[in-house]
Amino acid sequence: MITISNIGKVYNGQIAVDIPQLQIDHGITGLVGNNGAGKTTLFRLILDLIKADRGEILSKDNPVSANEGWKQYTAAYIDEGFLIQYLTPEEYFYFVGKLHNRSKADVDEFLQTFIAFFDGGILKTGKYIRDLSKGNQFKTGIAACILQDPEMLLLDEPFANLDPSSQIRLMQMLKDLQGRKRMTVLISSHDLNNITDVCNRILLMEKGKIIKDLQTSEDTLNELEDYFRV
Amino acid sequence: MTYILLHHQWKAFWRSRDAGRNVAVQIFMGLIVLYLLGVAIFIGVFLQSILEAAFPEQDVVTVFCGFILYYFFLDIIFRFLWQDLPTLTVQPYLVQNIKRRQLVQFLNLRSLFSFFTLLPLFLFVPFALSVIHMQYGSVVSLAFVVTIISLILFNHFLVLFIKRKTILSNWWLVGFFVIVLLLIAGDYFKIFSVSNMSAIIFKQLLKTPLLCVTAIVLAVAAFYNNSRFLQNNLYLDDLVKSPGHRASAEYQWLQRFGSVGNLIAVDLKLILRNKRPRSLLLFSCIFLFYGFIFYKPVSFDNNDFGFLLFGGIFVTGMFMTNYGQFLFAWQSSHFDGLLAANVPLKIYLKSKFILLTGFCTVALLLSLFYGFINWKIIPVQIAAYFFNIGIHSLIAVYIGTYNYKGLDLSKGVSFNYQGTGVVQFLYAIVIMIIGFILYLPFAMLISSWAGIITVGLLGFISLLLQDWWIDKLTIQFQKRKHKMLEGFREK
Repeated sequence: MITISNIGKVYNGQIAVDIPQLQIDHGITGLVGNNGAGKTTLFRLILDLIKADRGEILSKDNPVSANEGWKQYTAAYIDEGFLIQYLTPEEYFYFVGKLHNRSKADVDEFLQTFIAFFDGGILKTGKYIRDLSKGNQFKTGIAACILQDPEMLLLDEPFANLDPSSQIRLMQMLKDLQGRKRMTVLISSHDLNNITDVCNRILLMEKGKIIKDLQTSEDTLNELEDYFRV
Repeated sequence: MTYILLHHQWKAFWRSRDAGRNVAVQIFMGLIVLYLLGVAIFIGVFLQSILEAAFPEQDVVTVFCGFILYYFFLDIIFRFLWQDLPTLTVQPYLVQNIKRRQLVQFLNLRSLFSFFTLLPLFLFVPFALSVIHMQYGSVVSLAFVVTIISLILFNHFLVLFIKRKTILSNWWLVGFFVIVLLLIAGDYFKIFSVSNMSAIIFKQLLKTPLLCVTAIVLAVAAFYNNSRFLQNNLYLDDLVKSPGHRASAEYQWLQRFGSVGNLIAVDLKLILRNKRPRSLLLFSCIFLFYGFIFYKPVSFDNNDFGFLLFGGIFVTGMFMTNYGQFLFAWQSSHFDGLLAANVPLKIYLKSKFILLTGFCTVALLLSLFYGFINWKIIPVQIAAYFFNIGIHSLIAVYIGTYNYKGLDLSKGVSFNYQGTGVVQFLYAIVIMIIGFILYLPFAMLISSWAGIITVGLLGFISLLLQDWWIDKLTIQFQKRKHKMLEGFREK
């Protein structure tokens, strides 16, 4: 799905991302690493929101920087910058749905399946997105991603702002979706338990480089904890 | 403390993303200000001779006294339109060990460094120190200077207060302009005379210099009022406002236009639901009346359309000017999401063009009433309209790709007034000059009508080529987008 070759990005002399070769295919891939390891930068590079200093990222064999085709099958939520603050959540869902030719009725039907996940905090609350709590903003962003029925899904630290119940629901949801649709999912997290639970492959980043590429097994959690222990 | 805050502002200025552009604008403004101050000093020093020459039959001091209140009345209007509010991102300072009073003090102090504060000093003080000093003695002269300075401060803090109020509620804006219009009308139709009142007040001051205390009281009251308002509103916005129920809205009539309509609907909601663009909308409606400045009977009689064209471009393009110069920056808070969403860039740019065209069309329709003054205004405005939607829109989109400083729509409304100051007028003037340059050759060679037709026709042709332009601009946008994204992300 995603082929990264020789990609490099430097900020003020600091290496942000430096990946010679990486292939990401369907399945749930997790990205871990301390702050400043380059996780978010990598996400933004894949979405062509940052210009790489060198190298190339291919999505389905097309370079993301030259061809907009990836937008049709890629959904992403990195931070509030992906939401339109002055819309109500419903309006935002209709807006995103419309971009993927889904009718209003279609979107309403889809939202029914999210009632439990939203837990009464999002739909029909009479608030604009900017007035929602950070956790509910995240839920809105994640739901909008799944609404797009993407082949490629990018979520940056989706667990960070969610309450425990929602974290468990989200993990279940990701596993279900991946099982049914063979999606390619890339998520980052600081929660090692969650990430080893949900991912079948984990990439460990440090100073812009991928220093470990693990297929998740029973030892993975211990291995990661060993790395992060100071 | 004040020094540290000033130092931070200094850093913010130089380290901001578009420091280069800021510096260029500041230098340009600085030159204009220097020139104007130079003129003011000249007038101030030679005021006596000037007044004697202009009003040979009257007493110089009387004429001077009649003029002062006029000046300060105009001063309020111009300050209101052009004076920038001092801004400070208060959030990081609020939780630190800094007294609120100190922050307010800083904002008040900084605001004083303004052209409007200096101008009357140069204009009036030399006269007070020379002529009045000679005729009435040093006590009166001193009282005069004190009064002038007090009036400057009074105006200054009053306008800051009103301007801040207008951000919180648009009714203040409406109220302010109604009062100003009533005063102008009252003076114009000779119901009362500002000049006579001014003469009476200041002549009295000449007799009893102690009256200058009144002016001091006024200034202190305005200062105190403004400080109190600031101190009470020095909260983050989410703390002061409690959002009521927000209704969802779908603009069905736009949905027919597919993706483009979908994007325009979002843009319209942006304008209607955020305080800043909403105030801008109101301002633009007021700018519709700027036509009265430009549309002078002399121009119709001589078929001198150059000046009319200025007016036409200004009036039909006002909202486009205001909104267009921040075209993409308005959406800076969700630019990341927008560019990662399934929106082809071409469609995105197309939606902007249609939006701008819509604004101009509405402005054109609203401004047709000028036709009652003289029918010639209408063809001029139509030509200006085509210039705006065909050529000005291209410039707006192109310049938009070079603007990579984000606008904060949701927060800091009461401390954020960027985009309604002088820079905007500069932009408007540049656009008007471009229109004038297109008008000039055929107007000189053939006739004024030929010049107007050229402007309209060029706009129309450019409009027909819009799809081609959009292709070109998409390439430009693609080139610039990473820079813009980076800038917009920086809050």
